[in-house]
Amino acid sequence: MNWEEKFMLLAARARTEEVPQVNVVPEVLTLLSSGQAEPLTVAENLWMWLAAGASAVAVPAAVVAISVYNASMGPLREIVNSISWAM
Amino acid sequence: MNGLMQSIWGLLTTSGVLPNALVRGVADALDADASRTEPAAADGEDIRQTRQGDSDAYRRLIERHQAHVAKILWRFSRDRAIHEELVQDVFVEAYLSLNSFRGNAPFSHWLARIATRVGYRCWKEKARQKDAEPFSLAEWDQIADEKEAIERIDADQAAGLLHGLLEKLPPRDRLVLMLRYIEGCDVAETARRTGWTRTMVKVQSLRARDKLKKLVERSGMELI
Repeated sequence: MNWEEKFMLLAARARTEEVPQVNVVPEVLTLLSSGQAEPLTVAENLWMWLAAGASAVAVPAAVVAISVYNASMGPLREIVNSISWAM
Repeated sequence: MNGLMQSIWGLLTTSGVLPNALVRGVADALDADASRTEPAAADGEDIRQTRQGDSDAYRRLIERHQAHVAKILWRFSRDRAIHEELVQDVFVEAYLSLNSFRGNAPFSHWLARIATRVGYRCWKEKARQKDAEPFSLAEWDQIADEKEAIERIDADQAAGLLHGLLEKLPPRDRLVLMLRYIEGCDVAETARRTGWTRTMVKVQSLRARDKLKKLVERSGMELI
């Protein structure tokens, strides 16, 4: 018997296992009624999407701004600026 | 139409034209069909009432489905306290996203998807914390490679052994192997439960099986 057959037989055996009984009704209802778990309202959803959109725009804008700043403040740029009278 | 069919069926059964065995068989099939559609109808009504703020309706939904959800999550955690927490999480998450349930598939399928997501999240957190319980392949090797010997093993021992073995794999591989081979889901069902495409399920299954093969072939060595 190879490992795979052994695995399959064990899996078939595992499928017949009895699962412990649970009763989560009291805990779930308590949690829901306490207001600790409330679905987002329409306004909250709107704000969330707005925040996500703003972040999505802000990050590339910051990257572009930093690269433009670095390019304009490079040593070559300073030399060009300082001898601009010669041009 | 249903009324007409029932009248014809009533005439046929009372007239004695049909053999008794056939009548019994059809009656059993009709009963089974009715028992399948009954929970779906009850679910639909309870979901509608829950959306209107009736907590009793949600209690009925939990009572009807918690055993099914518990069964799914027992494959993800065999620690009773964690298991119960995960079942709770599923029903809280289901409540919060109940408005997104469109009713195209049975409620139990929708819950199974949430349960799989919750269980998978638990595995990923555990993998990040690297607090997997110690498992040695010696346990795997101790089991004789004979069909009769394996069939004599306790079901919970077999499940515990596979749980420990699969815990050595990354959560993604573990999930696909658990669904395909331990839960016995086909490719379509696995895709539905995980939210992956069927191709992805097939590819992931192959990769995971290869990893598992390498794992069991490293028999007797200290693992990962």
